Amino acid sequence: MSTVPIEPLLHHSHLRHNSRIYRVTRGFVPCSLNLRSHFTCNKLHSIGSTVGPGMSLGFRSSKHRRSVAIRASSSDTAVVETSQSDDVVFKEKFPVQRIEKAEGKMYVRMKQVKEKNWQMSVGCSLPGKWILHWGVSYVGDTGSEWDQPPEDMRPPDSIAIKDYAIETPLKKLSEGDSFYEVTINLNLESSVAALNFVLKDEETGAWYQHKGRDFKVPLLADVPDDGNLIGAKKGFGKWPGALGKLSNILLKADEPGAKVQEKSKSSSDSTKERKGLEEFYEEMPISKHVSDDNSVSVTARKCPETSKNIVTVETDLPGDVTVHWGVCKNGSKKWEIPAEPYPEETILFKKKALRTRLQRKDDGNGSFGSFSLDGKLEGLCFVLKLNENTWLNNRGEDFYVPFSISSGLPVETETAQASGNTPEAKQEVIDTAVTDEIITEIRNLAIDISSHKNQKTKVKEVQENILQEIEKLAAEAYSIFRSTTPTFSEASVLEAEADEPEIKISSGTGSGFEILCQGFNWESHKSGRWYMELKEKADELASLGFTVLWLPPPTESVSPEGYMPKDLYNLNSRYGTIDELKDTVRRFHDVGIKVLGDAVLNHRCAHFKNQNGVWNLFGGRLNWDDRAVVADDPHFQGRGNKSSGDNFHAAPNIDHSQDFVRKDIKEWLCWMREEIGYDGWRLDFVRGFWGGYVKDYVDASKPYFAVGEYWDSLSYTYGEMDYNQDAHRQRIVDWINATSGAAGAFDVTTKGILHVALQKCEYWRLSDPKGKPPGVVGYWPSRAVTFIENHDTGSTQGHWRFPGGKEMQGYAYILTHPGTPAVFFDHIFSDYRSEIASLLSLRNRKKLHCRSEVKIDKVERDVYAAIIDEKVAMKIGPGHYEPPSESKNWSLVVEGRDYKVWETS
Amino acid sequence: MEVSVIRNSQARICREELAYRVNKCCIGSEFISIKARNRISLYGETTRRNEIKKLCCSQRSIRCEAVVSDKAPFFKSTPRTRSLKGVRLFVGLPLNTVSDCNIVNHTKAIAAGLRALKLLGVEGVELPIFWGVAEKESPGNYRWSGYLAIAEMVKKMGLKLHVSLCFHGSKQPNIPLPDWVTRIGETKPGIYFTDRSGSQYKECLSFGVDDVPVLDGKTPMEVYRCFLESFKSEFSDYLGNTITGITIGLGPDGELRYPSYQTRKLSDGAGEFQCYDKHMLAALKHYAEANGNPLWGLSGPHDAPSYDQQPNSSAFFSDGGSWESEYGDFFLSWYSSLLVSHADRVLSLASSAFSGTGLPLCGKLPLLHQWHKLRSRPSELTAGFYCNGDHDRYEAFAETFAKSSCKMIMPGMDLSDEHQSLDSLSSPESLLAHIKTCCKKYGVVVSGQNSTVPILGGFERIIENLKDENTVIDLFTYQRMGALFFSPDHFHAFTEFVLNLSQFKLPEDDLRAEKEEDNGGGKTLTTSMQAA
Repeated sequence: MSTVPIEPLLHHSHLRHNSRIYRVTRGFVPCSLNLRSHFTCNKLHSIGSTVGPGMSLGFRSSKHRRSVAIRASSSDTAVVETSQSDDVVFKEKFPVQRIEKAEGKMYVRMKQVKEKNWQMSVGCSLPGKWILHWGVSYVGDTGSEWDQPPEDMRPPDSIAIKDYAIETPLKKLSEGDSFYEVTINLNLESSVAALNFVLKDEETGAWYQHKGRDFKVPLLADVPDDGNLIGAKKGFGKWPGALGKLSNILLKADEPGAKVQEKSKSSSDSTKERKGLEEFYEEMPISKHVSDDNSVSVTARKCPETSKNIVTVETDLPGDVTVHWGVCKNGSKKWEIPAEPYPEETILFKKKALRTRLQRKDDGNGSFGSFSLDGKLEGLCFVLKLNENTWLNNRGEDFYVPFSISSGLPVETETAQASGNTPEAKQEVIDTAVTDEIITEIRNLAIDISSHKNQKTKVKEVQENILQEIEKLAAEAYSIFRSTTPTFSEASVLEAEADEPEIKISSGTGSGFEILCQGFNWESHKSGRWYMELKEKADELASLGFTVLWLPPPTESVSPEGYMPKDLYNLNSRYGTIDELKDTVRRFHDVGIKVLGDAVLNHRCAHFKNQNGVWNLFGGRLNWDDRAVVADDPHFQGRGNKSSGDNFHAAPNIDHSQDFVRKDIKEWLCWMREEIGYDGWRLDFVRGFWGGYVKDYVDASKPYFAVGEYWDSLSYTYGEMDYNQDAHRQRIVDWINATSGAAGAFDVTTKGILHVALQKCEYWRLSDPKGKPPGVVGYWPSRAVTFIENHDTGSTQGHWRFPGGKEMQGYAYILTHPGTPAVFFDHIFSDYRSEIASLLSLRNRKKLHCRSEVKIDKVERDVYAAIIDEKVAMKIGPGHYEPPSESKNWSLVVEGRDYKVWETS
Repeated sequence: MEVSVIRNSQARICREELAYRVNKCCIGSEFISIKARNRISLYGETTRRNEIKKLCCSQRSIRCEAVVSDKAPFFKSTPRTRSLKGVRLFVGLPLNTVSDCNIVNHTKAIAAGLRALKLLGVEGVELPIFWGVAEKESPGNYRWSGYLAIAEMVKKMGLKLHVSLCFHGSKQPNIPLPDWVTRIGETKPGIYFTDRSGSQYKECLSFGVDDVPVLDGKTPMEVYRCFLESFKSEFSDYLGNTITGITIGLGPDGELRYPSYQTRKLSDGAGEFQCYDKHMLAALKHYAEANGNPLWGLSGPHDAPSYDQQPNSSAFFSDGGSWESEYGDFFLSWYSSLLVSHADRVLSLASSAFSGTGLPLCGKLPLLHQWHKLRSRPSELTAGFYCNGDHDRYEAFAETFAKSSCKMIMPGMDLSDEHQSLDSLSSPESLLAHIKTCCKKYGVVVSGQNSTVPILGGFERIIENLKDENTVIDLFTYQRMGALFFSPDHFHAFTEFVLNLSQFKLPEDDLRAEKEEDNGGGKTLTTSMQAA
């Protein structure tokens, strides 16, 4: 018998001071059911002894006697009542996971042992399986690539990772030592210019970096500083909150003078001699999250004599535990305050809840408490509070203890246990009930419009969310059903069952009311401080009504515009530094705008040539070799698999079918989410690889919004664009489907059709044979991101420029129609500004969204007119149109060259 | 109010009138309808038992459902969801949900689909359980695990399950009858329906062998009974809570009809008579001799057109043709009576097997709307629907359903006349209206289905049908989940359909109704259900 059941018994012995205890607790320990109800304390004890040593029965009873003695002399707890024949109405053991943030420090020490014999040590005080992942830079190297260190620098238990790095575990110097440490003997004869490293915890898989980049310890004076030098009195970017705690070093992370300071300190003579090398010792705070599994056991009993519900809560959580609770009446789960008396150590919290501190158990392992409540109540809701910042709940929900037997929850606790049923069976039923309730609640919110008339907007948003979740699920189902191969594994059945109860409403498609701003053009890199310039415009863009901002690609890039990325972890680009980027993102968050990062995942520029002189080997932290390059582009001699999409010929295309590549990319995206604060992605050139991989990335990085650029040619016959572009939009929809609807896509079809319709005055093209919009927006509006221009099509490149002078007609179309519209930066800051502003404000005011209904009202050679959600009417083209006046009062809101927009008044 | 009218006219009230009253009561709110039905049944029990029998039955089925829904813990606190459920919407799961090697196909897709449907507010799903899967290897050797896994998934998702027990096979996807039945069929080809040219329909056993011990010494009816018993015991945990209804397979594709088209498309011709297997011919011979016309019993009609011929191309179906002759009446009466007695046998079997579970039982009729505008309505004749002279061809069937308190599932609720090709002289709308009237006459509750392929304008038509004030349809099953169902275009339309459905049940500005409900409408419902 395990010792787990000890605790309930112990705990009850605190509460009750006579032998009736045995009867009361019989439900808890199945095997002793009969013993308890029929034997006296002494008998039980003797039986316990005869059962054998190690069995907890005997142990328990002796323990019990002792605690009785203690309790008998202590004062009584006022509200606890005892009873001869309690009935257990609810019993449950909830698992709770406590995330503990362990804080410690790490250090880097440079020490001169003898002349010309220097050592660098890296140490860490936190427990863990620490690995130093490191490499060196040689004199003359540029960029951030790593090389393997000379043989004699490698500590004995090092492992070479590919050709570019070494992994050496940190060890405790001696038993009882609190630090894990690794020491590297430096070879100063070699031409090593700097040591690069990151610290890795194999237990959690977490990487620890310096200011979002590798640690870099310069051994020479002129090592270029990308902001990550160490031994240079710089702070850590990752833990800004904890910096103040360190007293022994100066931490002036963001001070512009830091570089100067470093130079003067470590190598004032700025020659290549080692003279400048100085001893240093630098400490940084480090933290890691450790999760502990504990449990909370809750038992509710009905006391027939007093008709009260007695709830006991106990837990093995260490430290002080406070129960933050309320009671439920009338079938709702609204928290209410019960009538007094309350248990000991209870305080009223803001008239909304009660807080009761649990009593520590005598053995110090956890706490317990007991609540006696009116029998008419329906249940008890609670969460646990460990300290000001740590709250525990039941997998995202309040703990709920139902009292009523008629509530539909199974309550035959005793029979279930006696027959040997496992508690999991019961857990399942409760889960289902909870799930049902959640779903019902959500749905009620969504459907119950009439009873919440004043909250219509809110309801609408919830409805949007649900619709989105539904669409996502449908897309997933669609893609599986379409690939007709059935799955033949029992395991997948179980898996599917296991994850069913979670209904989470999050998707890469925003709220449905998003309006995108493309926050750059082809020239934005030129100033070198675009982030800062854009930051100044935050208020302006927010007041215009934008909700999402798309920033340029942030990585180090071979081309200044950023679309030829090299080291993905180097976020210092021609648009600004990583710190400026973070700052800008923060600023936009402050004004309520979400920020998208431009992620170039299709290709990556190599750092090195292979033996044939072909550039296909990567450096930096993601030092992939040629297996990461697709095999079917002869220019780059990749050793990966064939590409799952089209190839982009200017750089090595990444082979996303490789597990290590996907793992690295997912890590990178998550890192950017966390480090930079990006809310989502604009995915470059997604034609280049299979949408299923995008789903993988989106699922891993959980963006608020994601949109892919799937740009291919529309269909033409003899130079004339075809009326029917279903094949074109189907290709885009197929890609969205491959992502299971996790990401949207730019509606290239709509742009193309608008081009011809406006340019040639062929407005009839704007209605498909079914009378719907002819672009992606007519097929799958919630995933279509409509636009008329971007940095490629327009700006100074002009690969496919929107017909000049007709831009406002384009905006009148996309800003009134369903889909998520994107406005190009150049257009906002142009003469069109005020007209665009009126359209944006109309869209927001009238709550048009990505699923709004379009009714095409007139479609002729020279005019296209539509009514959206029956509250906005629009026409583009020189022809005449007036919205039908019989049913509604239309008033003209915006008017310009060849377009008009009305709203209902 | 309505009820008191009925009481006053106690003395002589014909069934139609009563049924009409009852149905009228149901319009608007489900609460009212339930109350009304309860009271009527009381009256029925105390006075003219025979005439009101059907109403009692329908009251019984309503009661069962009410109790079932009461068990779900979340209904009580949120009575508003009920108003959406005035029409309870189900969606059919794929036919091959469980493969013939007893594995759940597309589990992940189904899991995602179920979740989507739950969020959408769909009441439940329909699961076809095939004889050929569950009793595949040998007689009495049942394997339910795949289907049980689905039931568990559905339960966990908090959805309801409607089970269709299929004693037929399917060509697309390929789900044949049980292997051991197929083996018997090889030696005894007479167990299958056979047409004039001798080709067999192997997806269903001939009605001629219903009570002939052709299956290893057992009759098909006995085999079906064992199947039902096994199902009942295996799914006992789900019956009444997750499983809220059972459809019993009555013939080809589960529908009560002869496989008159075998595998051909319906639009070609009127179909052929399927009376040429050994057992049917013997029965015909016997019947002819008993009627004093032994020569008529030697074969089926010689002048009926073949599958791909126009009905009018030969003498049988034309105006004044053989079908109206004395011979025609003889043959068609016999042919149709076999279909009626098959329905009677299977439905009685099922209703006795499931008596005590309180589950409503359903059977499906075909909607044979092709050539409906011809006087002979030949599609109905070849499928087995006939009645002498101008009598209603569906009456006998409605009566049979009523006898077993069985609900009638009508497919084709999405079909509208305007989308039919003119050549086929078809009229799904008028046929459907006709059958619904007939059901009303016998107090048979009608449930709806769409046709198997999505139809242009189908959803609008379904809504119209569900709104139809003359027949209250409380259950609609949309067919069916799969790639097409989830394709963006179609799924969007479906979502809209569901939202429309809930909207028309819950008019946004109908404050009066809302008040009524708040003033204890919900309570009345609970008490009346408990009383019932």
